[in-house]
Amino acid sequence: MAKNLISLSNVNLTLPSRAGPVAILQQVALEIAAAEAVAIVGPSGSGKTSLLMVVAGLERATSGRVVVAGHDFARLDEDRLAAVRGANIGIVFQAFHLVPTMTALENVALPLEFAGKPDAFERAREMLSEVGLAQRADHFPAQLSGGEQQRVAIARALSPRPQILLADEPTGNLDGKTGAQVVDLLFELQRRRQSTLLLVTHDPSLARRCGRVVQMHDGAISGAELVSA
Amino acid sequence: MTAAVSELKAQAAGRRLPLLLSLALREQRNGLGGFYVFIACVALGVAVITGVGALADALRSSFERQGEMLIGGDVVLARPHRPAEGQERDWLWRQGRVSETATMRAMARRSDGAEQALIELKGVDGDYPLVGSVALAEGLSLAAAVRNGIGAVVDPILLDRLNLKVGDSLSIGRLEVPIRASIVAEPDRITERLGVGPRVLVSLETLRRSGLVDPGSLVSWRYALKLTPDAAAVADRLAAFRGAVKEALPEAGFSIRDRRDPSPQVSRTLERLRQFLTLVGLAALLVGGVGVANAVATYLDRRRKVIAAFKSLGAGRRIILGVHLLQVVFIAAIGIVSGSLLGMLIPLGLTAVLGDALPIKADITLTGRSLLTAAAYGLLVSLLFSLWPLGRAEQVPAAVLFRDEVAPEPVLPRWGIVALTVCVGALLAAFAIFTSEARSLAFYSCLGVIAVFAIFAGLGALTSRVARRMKRPRRPELALAIGNLGAPGGLTRSVVMSLGAGLSLLVTVALVDRSVVAELTERLPDSSPNYFILDLKREESEAFHKLVAREAPEAHIEQAPMLRGRIMQVAGHPAEQVKAAPEAQWVLNGDRGLSYSETVPAGSKLVAGQWWPADYAGEPLVSLEGEIANGLGLKLGDTVTVNVLGRNVTARLANLREVKWESLSLNFVLVFSPNTLRGAPHNLLATVTLPKDAPLASEAKLAQAIGRAFPASTAIRVKDAIDAFGVIFARVMVAVRTAGSVTLVAGALVLAGALATAQRRRIQQAAILKTLGATRRRILLSHLLEYVILAVLTSFISFLIGTAAAWLAVTRVMELEFTFSLGAALQAVLLATILVAAFGGFGTWRVLRAPTIPYLRAD
Repeated sequence: MAKNLISLSNVNLTLPSRAGPVAILQQVALEIAAAEAVAIVGPSGSGKTSLLMVVAGLERATSGRVVVAGHDFARLDEDRLAAVRGANIGIVFQAFHLVPTMTALENVALPLEFAGKPDAFERAREMLSEVGLAQRADHFPAQLSGGEQQRVAIARALSPRPQILLADEPTGNLDGKTGAQVVDLLFELQRRRQSTLLLVTHDPSLARRCGRVVQMHDGAISGAELVSA
Repeated sequence: MTAAVSELKAQAAGRRLPLLLSLALREQRNGLGGFYVFIACVALGVAVITGVGALADALRSSFERQGEMLIGGDVVLARPHRPAEGQERDWLWRQGRVSETATMRAMARRSDGAEQALIELKGVDGDYPLVGSVALAEGLSLAAAVRNGIGAVVDPILLDRLNLKVGDSLSIGRLEVPIRASIVAEPDRITERLGVGPRVLVSLETLRRSGLVDPGSLVSWRYALKLTPDAAAVADRLAAFRGAVKEALPEAGFSIRDRRDPSPQVSRTLERLRQFLTLVGLAALLVGGVGVANAVATYLDRRRKVIAAFKSLGAGRRIILGVHLLQVVFIAAIGIVSGSLLGMLIPLGLTAVLGDALPIKADITLTGRSLLTAAAYGLLVSLLFSLWPLGRAEQVPAAVLFRDEVAPEPVLPRWGIVALTVCVGALLAAFAIFTSEARSLAFYSCLGVIAVFAIFAGLGALTSRVARRMKRPRRPELALAIGNLGAPGGLTRSVVMSLGAGLSLLVTVALVDRSVVAELTERLPDSSPNYFILDLKREESEAFHKLVAREAPEAHIEQAPMLRGRIMQVAGHPAEQVKAAPEAQWVLNGDRGLSYSETVPAGSKLVAGQWWPADYAGEPLVSLEGEIANGLGLKLGDTVTVNVLGRNVTARLANLREVKWESLSLNFVLVFSPNTLRGAPHNLLATVTLPKDAPLASEAKLAQAIGRAFPASTAIRVKDAIDAFGVIFARVMVAVRTAGSVTLVAGALVLAGALATAQRRRIQQAAILKTLGATRRRILLSHLLEYVILAVLTSFISFLIGTAAAWLAVTRVMELEFTFSLGAALQAVLLATILVAAFGGFGTWRVLRAPTIPYLRAD
């Protein structure tokens, strides 16, 4: 059996609010192997995105153990978490979140620059070619269509060659056709690079393109289903 | 494979600076939008500080460069009453080339006696001037004009005043002197005391023959010396010469001035003005600092998602902080450079506007010191006010990429940033204190600024808190206004801070101004004299009384013996070694008027010791003004040595007086027992006071009669003297008010910036309210109510703080009487309310015009 790249055991996440503490995640346990593709589905407010944030190290679990790419997140401070994220995790957002003052190329090079890679721009250019946007390298986000922006975001997420790719509703802001193209690209790259994919979505057909579908309800995992290829 | 974190960090560290720089530059591609208030705030403060420094530098360097020209030689020795004679004269003339001049105030009259004017009369010898030349309008040489027989050259103003022309004659003392030319430029004018009248130059011989010079007259004898033809090691030679004078002429009583500092009084005044205006500039910069903080916070608020994206891509807090800190430094640098350029133009502008009011032509000369001071202030203030918002920005959670925030929860920066902020603040305070000569003033100013910021931060927090806890009013507009006041991330704190700091400063400047003006103009006693009569001879006293009784029977005369003397020793220590308190220092600088009296002079009150008996004949005794005695460290029984007419007189301090200077009675700092000075040749000083309702014509008639009967005496009209002082003071106050208005501009900028910080959220809120059916009138009214509550609260507290600060400055620093002016303070407060209404109204107008849909859509 392949080694687990993501391991969550008994993870709880409670956030304070004016009305009192709110339990966001409850006793979540999840093991994801290298190169596996897992979809997380569930109604709004079920804790899907919070789970993604905990895996990304952007939100700290209140209790339980989170081990990602061999790093126990409880032992790392914020800057170390950032470094681990930079080296091992790529994230694709629903709203793309490209830096508006930077060109497509600079956006893709950014995580490589943060990681101190001397060949950041060469690698970024290659990555842009892989997503079919070599000719748009010097365009700013405002000059790109929604689909192109999301392809740049995918290129940016994958440019440091992360072992783990996290995607939060990656087609949520795109029309059906463009969304389908972006999804094809995402799975194609994941397969080619043997990355581990954790995908949050409301779309059942998109979820079924993953090897496993995990259902969430009220902050807890309520079920899981293996999808036959 | 997992990359080791430490390895990654090491790689990153090697490239950190270029990466930060390149990221900061990429971030700057949006241009300077959102930073204009930041730049303007920094530029304004830096411009004032640079401008003040540049002006002082320009004047100082002109002084130093033209020092020889200004004093008319390498060294000038001066003393009152007595020319150099005998051995003194031989010694002086052995030291190099010497020029002798005698200067005094006198009356000049038309030959027909119809008009007269107070003049500054100067008798010059054949060698005058040693340096430079006197330029005459008629193209004559000075020698031709005044040395070939009797003749005078005069300031053209005198010709105007007496309605005379070149070729006419002028009565000076006993002589009729033909006017040969008018003066265009006189090289050493500035170094002599402030002129009370137009200059008239005659030869020394003419002056002697006029009968105006006798042993008791107020004549200043000056000896300009040109020591060496080469300028090398001039400083050493000048110092050596000063020593030689003391050794060779120990009792001569000369004051010595050299080319290195031609007018110590002007230099000192310049330095004080520079410090005061620098403090005002710094205050403007600090008020502007609030604007910097607002601008940085607004910018970072807009960048929250980008910061979060950076974090999600692996950027640590140091990168976030570093990139934005570099941006702040870059923006601050733009402000500093533009402020410095603007500041450097200030001397040019002032020369163009004030022209002749400046003592000499100010060139653009800027020392590194002035430029660095302004730049350091600009940078430190920018950092001080940026670190806090930057520290909060690096805490932005990457989670904001996944969820929209209604209003970000306020977080505190980490302790390292807090410590750094405190360090920068301390550095700024230390810099302000140690670059200032008046360190205690600078120290208390710093404390005051901290207190003001603390008070308004507290007031802002308190207002928010009270608004949150208030019961919801029924009227929806008021409920909205109160809700906005208490809302997290609302305007309350920033507006209260911005408006409060600026307004407090403005009220302070307005009230200080009012007090100083009142001190000068309104506090003159009703019974102040109309004329001071100088140099009335003792034997003329009776005739003088008779004349006044005949011409103006109602007039009241006071008179006192008047001598000039210079304090040589204080309690046995040479005057130049005495460390006097600043307020007493002037007594040691140069000659003072002295008198003697059998009784306590009118306008004085004995506060310590005993007055001498009328027939006292023991050892010489002296009475001193109490505060001056304290300032000089003198106590009863100590001795004071004064050089009078070249003779050192030592007297014991018998008592102390409190003097009401503002009564304009005949008051002297030093009053001796009659037996000490009665034998010395001297004249009388008299005042003539007419009844309050006396017509102007009778005042003029009396003055003419006195002028005709006692040609050697000089009548100074009190109102003229006050007016002359008022003109100079008005110019200084223009500078102070201009500097004060700079703080207002800074306050306005800051306020605009503060209102802009919340503009986006305001528009969003208005959009939601509109969808819920709120009319524009209702939204407008709610905003207006909010602004009015803020303006009233802040104005009231600023009014109190400004009044307290002005009271401290006036009574403790300037040691004047505080005049509270409700009008002046209310003007400042009204201005603030108008500002808030104008800026707030403009903001609301934009809010109401903004289209609703874009603000209701998600990103």
